[in-house]
Amino acid sequence: MAETQQQDETLFIQHFRESSRPLSYYLEKMAGYTALKKAFGMSQDDIINEVKKSNLRGRGGAGFPTGMKWGFIPKQSAKPKYLVCNADESEPGTFKDRDLMRYTPHVLIEGMVIGGFAIGANTGYIYIRGEYTREAKLLDEAIDEAYAKGYLGKNILGSGFNFDLTVHRGAGAYICGEETALLNSLEGKRGEPRVKPPFPAQSGAFAGPTIVNNVETLASVPFIINRGGDWFAKLGRIEKSGGTRLIGVSGHVKKPGLYELPSGGVTLRQLIYDHCGGILGDKKLKAVIPGGSSAPVLTADEIDVVYDIDPMMKIGSMLGSAAVVVVSEEMCVVRLLTRITKFYAHESCGQCTPCREGTRWMEEVLERIEHGHGREQDMNLLLDIAGNINARTLCALGDAAAGPVTSFVKKFRADFEAHIRSGKCPNA
Amino acid sequence: MPKCIIDGREAEFTPGQNLVEVAKKVGIQIPFFCYHPALTVVAQCRMCVVEIEKMPKLQTACSTPAAEGMVVKTRSEKVIQAQKATMEFLLINHPLDCPVCDKSGECDLQDFSFKYGDAYSRYTEEKRTYVDLDMGPVIKKNMNRCIHCTRCIRFGTEVAGIHEMVAVQRGNNTEITTIDGRPLETDYAGNYADLCPTGSLLLKDFRFKKRVWFLKRTSTVCEGCARGCNMTIHQDNNVIYRCTARENLEINKYWLCDEGRFNFHYVNAEDRVVEPRSGASAAEWADAIAVAKSAVSGKKLAVLVGSDLTQEEGKLLLEFLPKNFSGAPVFHFGTPGIRSSQEDAAADRILKRKSKTANLHGLEKLGFKGFDSLPAGTSAVLVIRGGRATLPELKGVTTVGLGVFRDSEAQGFAAVLPGASFAEKDGTIVNFEGREQHLRRAINPPGQSKQLPEILMMWANSKGGQNA
Repeated sequence: MAETQQQDETLFIQHFRESSRPLSYYLEKMAGYTALKKAFGMSQDDIINEVKKSNLRGRGGAGFPTGMKWGFIPKQSAKPKYLVCNADESEPGTFKDRDLMRYTPHVLIEGMVIGGFAIGANTGYIYIRGEYTREAKLLDEAIDEAYAKGYLGKNILGSGFNFDLTVHRGAGAYICGEETALLNSLEGKRGEPRVKPPFPAQSGAFAGPTIVNNVETLASVPFIINRGGDWFAKLGRIEKSGGTRLIGVSGHVKKPGLYELPSGGVTLRQLIYDHCGGILGDKKLKAVIPGGSSAPVLTADEIDVVYDIDPMMKIGSMLGSAAVVVVSEEMCVVRLLTRITKFYAHESCGQCTPCREGTRWMEEVLERIEHGHGREQDMNLLLDIAGNINARTLCALGDAAAGPVTSFVKKFRADFEAHIRSGKCPNA
Repeated sequence: MPKCIIDGREAEFTPGQNLVEVAKKVGIQIPFFCYHPALTVVAQCRMCVVEIEKMPKLQTACSTPAAEGMVVKTRSEKVIQAQKATMEFLLINHPLDCPVCDKSGECDLQDFSFKYGDAYSRYTEEKRTYVDLDMGPVIKKNMNRCIHCTRCIRFGTEVAGIHEMVAVQRGNNTEITTIDGRPLETDYAGNYADLCPTGSLLLKDFRFKKRVWFLKRTSTVCEGCARGCNMTIHQDNNVIYRCTARENLEINKYWLCDEGRFNFHYVNAEDRVVEPRSGASAAEWADAIAVAKSAVSGKKLAVLVGSDLTQEEGKLLLEFLPKNFSGAPVFHFGTPGIRSSQEDAAADRILKRKSKTANLHGLEKLGFKGFDSLPAGTSAVLVIRGGRATLPELKGVTTVGLGVFRDSEAQGFAAVLPGASFAEKDGTIVNFEGREQHLRRAINPPGQSKQLPEILMMWANSKGGQNA
C-alpha cells in the first residue's frame, strides 16, 4: 500500500512545512500564480466549464459540485457579487483547512482570485474561525505579500480585473460554518442560518449574489486551471469525484494525522489499517465516525466501504469534511455520544424549535444514562427525539445532531442497555 | 389566477403568496407561532409544516410560495406527527402555569396544544428557567413562557423602527430580552403583548385584572389622534379592561400606539364627573341645567366644541346652537397648537398624527372654525367635549361644561352636565384622509351621565333661566 501511496500524486501535503509559506516558495516550487495568468486568458465560462469537468466537489461537507455552484451565479447583477471562503473549520475531528492556510496560504489566495474572476466578484472574504488566531495572522501576511506583488488589488497582472480580499474572524460559533449563518455573521449580525430560498447565489452577502466555498475547494482551483479539468478528474479513483482529499484521522490509531489520498482511492479499512497503522495498542475496533462528528457512526463491520462521497452516502453515513474519528473497544460509546450531543446542544443557534429544544433534551437523557439513571424507555425516547429533529429544521445542524444519536443507539443498543441495566458504565 | 390544491380544495392565489395565506382563503387554518403577515418570514417555529407532493421533506407553509399545480396536504399523517412533535418540544420547557397566566384563554400555544398536541409529555428533566428583568412601564416579561418565536424582535426593528428586543446567548439558553436589559423605549410597546403568542410579554396595565374569557369585545376606532386606528375594546360589567389593535391594512395594519391603547383610562377614572353638578356640588339634572342656563344667560357667550365629538353630534350642535344661543361664536378645539386640519401632520413615521383628537377633519368639514382665543368681551363659555380634547385655558369667564370632564378640570365651572365618552356612544368620525369610520358603543355612560342628544333635549325643554 505504501507503494501505491507514492504513485498517487498529491497536491498539498508535500508542502505542509513552515518553510513553504512565503510567496517566494509558492512562486518557485508550486508554479505560483501561473494559473491566475492563464485564467485571465480564458473566458469566465471556460473557467467554470474547466471546474465542472474536474469533478471537484465541495470539500466542506456537502460535496456539491463546485462548477455547478459557480454556474448558479447570475451573469448580470445590479448588486456587487461576492466570493466567500468558508474557513470556519469547526466540525469536530476536522483539521485540514488549518494546515492549508498555515503552510500554503497563497494557493488559497490564487484560487480565490480565479474564482472571483470566474463569477465576476471583485470582493472576497475569508471567514476564518475565531480560534484560528495564528492562521488569521498568517493569512493576513500572505495577503499583504500578494497585494505588494500585484496579485490582489486593482488591475491584477494587467488584466483589468480588480479583486480585494479580507480576512474576517468569527467569534467562536460552530453554526457560522453553515453558509448563511456565516454570511449573517460576516454582515455583523447574529450567526443564524437564513431561510432558503433565496440561496446565496441569488442573494447572499449584503444581498449580493454570493458563492461560499470551502478552503480546500478553492485551493484546488489553481491546479485545475494549470493542468486541466480532465487531469484533475483523473486524480480521483471514483466517478464524479475528482482530485485528492485531505483526510484528518484522529482517535485510537497508531498514526493519527492528516493524509492526502485520491478521491475514492481507499476503503475506510485501508485508511485505518494500512495508512494509519491500525488501532492503538492493537485493540479491537469499536466504531468509526467517518466524516466529522455529525456523520452517522459506523461499526467495525462497516468499514469495507470506499471512502468517498457517494459510497458513504449509500451506506447511510457521509464523508462530510473527511474527518475520521477511530474508536477502539476501550472507549465507552455512551460517553462518546453524550459528548457529541452536548456539543450540538451547545452549538445550536436556537432558532428552530426542534433543534433548540431537542438537542438539549437528548443531552439530558444521555447524561442521565451515562450517570446510571437511565430507563429502559430512554433508548426509544432518544430515537424519537432524534427523528423529530431530523429534516425538520432550517439548516443541517438539526440533522447533524440527530444523526449520531440515531446511529449510535441503533448500532450500539447493547451498550446503552448495559448502562441502563447496571446503572453504570460496564467499561469503568 | 394560478391555482393550487390544498387538502383537495382548489385555491387561487396571487404569485408570491405563501401557503399559510392561500390556505386561509379556502378556509384551512395552518397553525403557526413565528409567522406574522406584517413581519419578515423566519420559518423557525416549524409549526406550519405541510406536505407537498414531490417534495421529500415537510415544508414550512409560511416560507413556501404557492405554485401553479402544487398539491399540498396540511393534515397528512406526517404533518400531524410533526406538529405533535413541535408542540411537545415547545412545551417541555414551558411552565404549566396557565391557571395564573393572563394569556390563558387567548394563547396560541395553549390553543394549538389542545388542537395539535398531545395530552401528556415525556419530558422528565428539570425545566429551563430564567431570571426576568424589568422592561419598563408597559410590558412585563416572563421569559420562562417564551417560545422564541422572535416576533417581538422583528416588530421592533421592522415596524417600530427600534432595535431594542434582541436574542442573547444561543441554543437552548437563548434569551429574548432588551439590549443590556434596558427598559423598552418605543411608544408602541403594547404591540409586543398583542404579538406575543404566549404569556411571555404581557401588558402590565392588564395583568391580573381579568380572565380574558369574561371580556366582551367591541370593534371600534381609537380616538387618540386623527388617524383613527381600528381597535377592540374589551369590557366586562361596564368597565373597560384593555384595548387591543384590530387589523385594518389601510389604516393601522395590526398596530396601535401606547397613547391610543391606554387612552381609555379616563373613561372609568374615579375622578370623572358622572353626576350633574351645580357649582362644585352634585345636583339633580333639572337643577344643574337650570343653573347652567342662568349662568350663560345675559352674558356674552362663546361655545367651544371639542373635535373629539362625532359627526352626528356636530350636526346636532349646528342645529341646536343657533336656535338657543343665537349670535354666539362657535369654535372647535382639541390639540394645543393644532387649530385646523392644515396643521395636522404625521407625528411619527408609524401611525401618530399631530391632532390628538379623532374628528378634527370631520368637524372642519361641517364648517366649525378652529379656536384661537376668546373674542373680546366674552363673559361666558359653554364647553362641549367628548373627553379627549385638551381644554384651553379659560380665565375670568363663567364656564359651563357639557360632556366628559375630570374633577380637576371642572373646578370653578358654574355647572357640569356629564356626557358620554367615545366608548359609550355610536357615531361617525372622519380621519385625516377623509375616511369615515364608526365608533361603537362598548359600555353605557356611567353614573348619571347621558348622551349629548338627550342633554340638549333637556336643555331645550327646560324652563330654567332664559337666554338673552
